[in-house]
Amino acid sequence: MHTPGKKREAWATQLGVILAVMGSAVGLGNFLRFPGLAAKYEGGAFMIPYFTALLFLGLPLCWAEWALGRYGGNRGHNSGPGIFRAVSSKRFVPYGGVLVLIVPIVIYMYYVFIEAWCLAYAWYMLTGQLALGKNSAEYVKFFDNFVGGSRDGVLFGAGGGPTLSFVALCFLLNFTLIYRGLSKGIEWFCRWAMPALILCAIVVVIRVLTLGTPNPAEPEWNVLNGLGFMWNPHTDKIPFGEALQNPQMWMEAAGQIFFSISVGFGTIITYSSYLRRRDDVALSALTGAAGNEFCEVALGGLMTIPAAFVFLGPVACEHCGSSFDLGFKTLPMIFQYMPLGQIVGTLFFILLFLAAVTSSVAMLQPGVALMEEGLGMRRKTSVLWLGLLTMLGTGFIVFFSKNLVALNTFDFWVGTLAIYLLATAEAILFGWVLGIKQGMAEIDAGAKIRVPRILGFILKYVTPVYLLGVIALWIRQQIMVSKDNQFRAIADDPVVRWSVVFIVAVSLLLGVLTFFSLRRWRKAERARQEATP
Amino acid sequence: MTLGGWIIMTLSVSFVTLLLAWSLYRVLRDSGPAPNDDDGEEDGE
Repeated sequence: MHTPGKKREAWATQLGVILAVMGSAVGLGNFLRFPGLAAKYEGGAFMIPYFTALLFLGLPLCWAEWALGRYGGNRGHNSGPGIFRAVSSKRFVPYGGVLVLIVPIVIYMYYVFIEAWCLAYAWYMLTGQLALGKNSAEYVKFFDNFVGGSRDGVLFGAGGGPTLSFVALCFLLNFTLIYRGLSKGIEWFCRWAMPALILCAIVVVIRVLTLGTPNPAEPEWNVLNGLGFMWNPHTDKIPFGEALQNPQMWMEAAGQIFFSISVGFGTIITYSSYLRRRDDVALSALTGAAGNEFCEVALGGLMTIPAAFVFLGPVACEHCGSSFDLGFKTLPMIFQYMPLGQIVGTLFFILLFLAAVTSSVAMLQPGVALMEEGLGMRRKTSVLWLGLLTMLGTGFIVFFSKNLVALNTFDFWVGTLAIYLLATAEAILFGWVLGIKQGMAEIDAGAKIRVPRILGFILKYVTPVYLLGVIALWIRQQIMVSKDNQFRAIADDPVVRWSVVFIVAVSLLLGVLTFFSLRRWRKAERARQEATP
Repeated sequence: MTLGGWIIMTLSVSFVTLLLAWSLYRVLRDSGPAPNDDDGEEDGE
């Protein structure tokens, strides 16, 4: 809660906050995960569940998060527990807001490591150190060496210097921005980084779409067929109607919308808490989401898969693998085949890096907000403590680098499950605790567009049911799989076990900080009541 | 690339591009100072 008379942080412009939210949403998933998923699930058919999830899950939750954030902010709170408490002061409700701290802080711990890969790959591409020829094994080996995939602790040995240096650089950049504050740090950075990112992406898309048929020996490997590989509904293999009956596809489309648009990450709710009472949220939320969708569908959808297709062909494309495989093993090799590939490759990794920084810096603000308003710390002290905590977590991830087990464990429990839980908590908070009538009034306050009235019904009934359904399906699927079963791995793999212990320890710490913050707020309120005649 | 692929790609890309263009146009058009009932600089709570 803000100290009376103390200057409250605020965004300088509406466009600034929109770009900051857009930046927090646009990340590696837009350019790597989305194209991979769309190509995997019958290309064009995937877009039906994708846009359905956008309309019934992504956009409604976006509006709810923006409205909840501003609601809490105008009652003196910028941190998750504070915002939850502003909605309901019942004893346990504010503890739901601890998820607004856990999710971004824990994700930051591994995301900054991935961010360092993007920066390093941009540098190595620019300096020609990634020109490893046309043998894919070389790129796999390079990646494994860089991320320390061979054994735990290897990056803290003699060969880990470059990786640690790039991680340190990313840490420095993130914490400098967060220390400079909301307007002078995050907003200033996003105001130039987002246009730069989109410009880089447009250059890469133009290069990819003008590749034609680069290999005359394989006339079928051309850009049009590459686009077809990504967008065709594949009616020759599976009929369109049958493709739409795949529940797995609906679940993954919902998941993609969810992660891509950054609902349930705790960043939108925190950012919007710095809005003024009559600032618009309806149009801002829509613009932020639209910017993210543009980067994902119009840029990511035309870039990655067609580029891989024209040089590697359909068979290799079907085995492009995970986002990391596609981005850090396959694409660097493709840039070696491509005319002007060194420049295009550098721009591609710069755009990934900018997308990552604008996301990671957003993940730090919720933690800083709690330490400042809940524990009364100054900016310098809060940034220092958060820096130490996240450094410890990143150190853990970097140390247990073998096969990226720790990173994947953090991503599973927090980067996936906790996000679903937070989004569900927010949907319930908005629809059932604050109430649809008051919630819609909050969205309408200062609105520059009128949101459809049906949004109230969707937010109260459809979104929570949709979310709970997706969570249930997802958990069922995770329990059923035999390979990479994260539930079973807790018993089988000590690194997974220690990773889960680490996450629980961080969660408890944040819970304790919330407890002390709540005590402090109650004390301040009592003192104010006593002072009032 | 099949006709279905063309249709889905064109509709998807056009939809997100037009949505962003329209939203940004509205933001920039209405970017004058909002009639705030507080300046947000001081918090009396």
